Amino acid sequence: MLILTRKINEEIIINSEIRIKILSIAENQIKIGITAPGNMEILRGEIYERVKNIAINIPVGKVSVDDKVREEIKDLSKLKVNKISN
Amino acid sequence: MKITTHQFGEIEFQKEHIVKFTSGLIGFETLQNYVLIKTEDELFYWLNSVEKPEICFPMVGIRVIDESFPMEKNYEAFGIVTLNKDPLKITINLKSPVYLNQDDKIGYQTILSNSNYSMNYNLFKP
Repeated sequence: MLILTRKINEEIIINSEIRIKILSIAENQIKIGITAPGNMEILRGEIYERVKNIAINIPVGKVSVDDKVREEIKDLSKLKVNKISN
Repeated sequence: MKITTHQFGEIEFQKEHIVKFTSGLIGFETLQNYVLIKTEDELFYWLNSVEKPEICFPMVGIRVIDESFPMEKNYEAFGIVTLNKDPLKITINLKSPVYLNQDDKIGYQTILSNSNYSMNYNLFKP
């Protein structure tokens, strides 16, 4: 890991297209401004990790979806889908 | 092409059927080629990896749950489902939808970070 020391309003530029600016520092929190091309996905680390964990824990393959479960899934279509009402 | 899947046994498909995820799915970034399998139950779709046929994601089209879900032109939004023996515990991930363009056979997964959509939304009503 590259470690840099920055002061308020100073920036880090990555690959000449991503700018990261330190906006403010509080006791236990820093505010960061990020400027990057629109196609770049910027996520809080913990959100990325949570999604990733869910994906990895999804029961796939033999473990959960055997023929019996598949039969049951067929029946599921008769259940009412939990619609989001707007 | 042929692969042997856990759910559907041996399946045969043409190269043109492969849906390409150039960035993979979250947690599975190295797997880029999938086939979309539709069963007769009409609710579930199965996104089965071509490279690792034992990897398969059950999905449901989000339109059936939320008509105002963020859409993208020519793409359909799907939520990956976490199965459970108890149907009322089956959940769908609406926070990180999979967008599929079935005409061009491309797809990607994104995270709607500024939304209140749940990662574990109950798919069925009691």
